Amino acid sequence: MALRAARRLASCSRQGRLLLPSQAQAPCNPPAAAAAAFLHSHATSFGYKQVREEEKSRLVGNVFSSVASSYDLMNDLMSVGLHRLWKDRLVSKLNPFPGMKHLDVAGGTGDVAFRVLERIKSVGHRAMQGTLTATEEDTHIYVCDINPNMLNVGKKRAVERGYSEEHCLSWIQGDAEALSFEDGSMDGYTIAFGIRNVTHIEKALSEAYRVLKRGGRFLCLELSHVDVPVFKQIYDVYSFSVVPTMGELVAGDRQSYQYLVESIRRFPNQEKFAQMIQEAGFERVEYENLVGGVVAIHSGLKL
Amino acid sequence: MRRTAALLSSHGGAGGRSIPQALAAVLVCPLSKKPLRYCEASGSLVSDAVGVSFPVVDGIPCLVPKDGRLLDDHQEKSEQDSSTGDSSG
Repeated sequence: MALRAARRLASCSRQGRLLLPSQAQAPCNPPAAAAAAFLHSHATSFGYKQVREEEKSRLVGNVFSSVASSYDLMNDLMSVGLHRLWKDRLVSKLNPFPGMKHLDVAGGTGDVAFRVLERIKSVGHRAMQGTLTATEEDTHIYVCDINPNMLNVGKKRAVERGYSEEHCLSWIQGDAEALSFEDGSMDGYTIAFGIRNVTHIEKALSEAYRVLKRGGRFLCLELSHVDVPVFKQIYDVYSFSVVPTMGELVAGDRQSYQYLVESIRRFPNQEKFAQMIQEAGFERVEYENLVGGVVAIHSGLKL
Repeated sequence: MRRTAALLSSHGGAGGRSIPQALAAVLVCPLSKKPLRYCEASGSLVSDAVGVSFPVVDGIPCLVPKDGRLLDDHQEKSEQDSSTGDSSG
């Protein structure tokens, strides 16, 4: 208990520090400084390979450009359709409300955004008995993805589904580590199967914290770590033998799916990741394991 | 925050290529977190704070830092002057 209190105190002071840089950085940031920031490079992981940092984002980009068209089909096959239920669960935890401003990061194909929208519509209509209210018109969902191919897939699907973009959906190509949204502008932030692919997880978390309003909720759905003995062995065989082969047969791309399964194993486990979320300043951090930890939903509040 | 919205939408009425209001209201430069300005001539979003311009491709603003282009000083200056005139009028 005392330990937890101490940790909370520590995370409070971290919060203060985290907020400072963006304010201090303010007035004139010379172009040279911005350019120099890109020149820094350290080693990072790409699956099990060690690569230079800028190389990782390029390689991840290649993976997603390569699989964009068969992305949904592969998700269905690999998760036996379960990814749909996981995303439903994520959105039900978000508890979307009419008038909310929501940011979905790494959600280019619109899977999460459409669910949030549907949910808001059903909530709004139940409350207002079918009449479109002013608050409902204020609803806005921003979909941010670093990969233009994924965004194009999502935009196309939005048209097919009859969502008019002007009203409540916006598509932005952007980097989770350097978001282009105002401080304290969002009620909710979701990232589904995306944070594993960013180069600096802690930067993505602190950006999530920055863009959320006080009271805003952070939710992350990610493939995680299985700790149930026999199930773990089955899952390992499935990931390392079945998934890459499936990728080769369906998407014609074995390597991208080899990367996928390796990157899952490299990702911090549930407890460690929860700690990272806390370190970014979030409070009431908790997680829920689904299917024995194949995926986990982490949640935190900006208070 | 208001400034971004005003600057982006001031060019909006006529063009049709503009950035929708709801989007303009929350967008900032990914590097400086300062307001962006829509440059009609180049169809891009300009961050005057760091002198970087970001493209808009098929209506999707591309605000990935590494895809930003450093602005030529003279070009930036003149654009900034004309835009200030526009939005005050």
